[in-house]
Amino acid sequence: MTIKQFLRKKMITPIIFVILFTLSFIIDDVSTLWSGYLAILKSPSQLITDYLYVGGLGATLFNVSTILLLNIVMLNRLKVKMSGPVFAGLLTIAGFSFFGKNLFNTLPIYLGIYLYARKQHLEFRSFIIVVLFSTGISPLVSFLIFGNGWPLYIGIPLGIVAGILTGFILPALSAHTTRFHKGYNLYNIGFAMGILSMFYSAILTAFGIDYFIDGLISNDYHEILLILTLILSAIFIISAFIFDPRVLRSYPNLMKSTGRLVSDFIRDYGRAPTMLNVGIMGIISTLALMVLSIEINGPVMGGILTVMGFGAFGKHPKNSIPVMMGALLGAALTPVYSIDQVSMAIAVLFVTALAPVAGRYGFFIGVLAGFLHIIITPLAFRFQGGFDLYNNGFAAGFVAALLIPFLEAIFKDEPKEETT
Amino acid sequence: MSNQESRIVTKIIHELVLFYQMHGYQNIELKTKKSEQEFVIMIYSAILSEDLLKQIHEKIDRERDLEIETYGWQLVGDIDAKSELEIVGHLIDEMMVEKQKQGMKLTFIRKNRYKQKKTPKS
Repeated sequence: MTIKQFLRKKMITPIIFVILFTLSFIIDDVSTLWSGYLAILKSPSQLITDYLYVGGLGATLFNVSTILLLNIVMLNRLKVKMSGPVFAGLLTIAGFSFFGKNLFNTLPIYLGIYLYARKQHLEFRSFIIVVLFSTGISPLVSFLIFGNGWPLYIGIPLGIVAGILTGFILPALSAHTTRFHKGYNLYNIGFAMGILSMFYSAILTAFGIDYFIDGLISNDYHEILLILTLILSAIFIISAFIFDPRVLRSYPNLMKSTGRLVSDFIRDYGRAPTMLNVGIMGIISTLALMVLSIEINGPVMGGILTVMGFGAFGKHPKNSIPVMMGALLGAALTPVYSIDQVSMAIAVLFVTALAPVAGRYGFFIGVLAGFLHIIITPLAFRFQGGFDLYNNGFAAGFVAALLIPFLEAIFKDEPKEETT
Repeated sequence: MSNQESRIVTKIIHELVLFYQMHGYQNIELKTKKSEQEFVIMIYSAILSEDLLKQIHEKIDRERDLEIETYGWQLVGDIDAKSELEIVGHLIDEMMVEKQKQGMKLTFIRKNRYKQKKTPKS
């Protein structure tokens, strides 16, 4: 297999790893990087903990690249092929490793899913989609170990057991929650984890434990992250043309997809059109931020990478722009919320969880979905307590569950003539 | 066959029947056959249009995907005009088309890929 074939097969994810890993050592010297990385590992990590604030840029990129490497190696060992959901999972992991995920707090959850697979007599790789998205609730592990002031001999076993238990519950719960929103919330596992987070928060509240934090954000690295996102997007677009010079001909077919779960763009439309879509989604996200004068910090970077990842798993410009516009409208028209707030800024990116609503029901319904999403997101955060990093997935589940039954009743499919 | 497998197979049948109905093929005959190796669904209907047959082939006659299966199977059976058979395509191993004298027979095969629980010897 040539390098070109290898990179095509892996959707150029090894290149992303190499760029981020190399950059981490260029930006910081080893001792600064290591002390920053230790601070990240010891951080309680609940929403919103920007690892750029906690450990600096070099350490954060090191955290992102090591988690990415772990998951790439795991996928290779399990012989999992690079499908749309797997690619989306990898980029989402990379994105959230800027604000909440690290090697330490993700592994117990993986172990829980492994034990569930054993219990069900199924292969671990059968649950790979849940595995890749499961670590959105990893702050629970970190908080129980480092965030509560408990001695480590209590915190470590408690955190690890909670992580394993969560991983054990998640596969069955996330398969079930798809029915709640009928596949119109792309961050379905975020919704399932929101329910779990809600229960964990309730238990902690009942014992008088305070777990809410003020957001710890750093905008110090805006310029370099802006350049990085543009470079990554450009790499995907250029690669698409290298792998298939006629990619523009097939790309419009991809945009006909509603994006509803489970849409695997790599399987349905091929690697080159999907890479082009990933790059274009990256450019659109970055342009939206530039137009709105939103600075890129850890959470915003996480949002950009997640949107790019889901460019292989349901999102494209035609179904994403309407919901983003709805979110912007919501932030502009409501007196309480403003795009200057970090949670609102990232919601403008993560609102694309509802892209399938626009894909299925059109532009204006998409705008409405985006509007509803932006006003429910802060409430969802208070409801789930901040252990679910995919708070927008939790919020989007409610929006889809509210809209879809109504829309299905109004927009009926045309009946077809009886065929004999 | 485990209860879970029974649920998945039932949802596949649900979606296939719904697909025929939504495309105007109201009169169909359905047979199923189960063996240790596979579960077979046979649907007899009037001759399907070329376009519809092409659509079924595109959506279903592809490699089965175990990863999608465990995650998305609960969405099967809930299709509409714009999203049809996508997920079923991830759950079926093979499909065959056979033209008959008065109609058409489509066969869908789902192989048993899961480890069976060991039953204790009596």
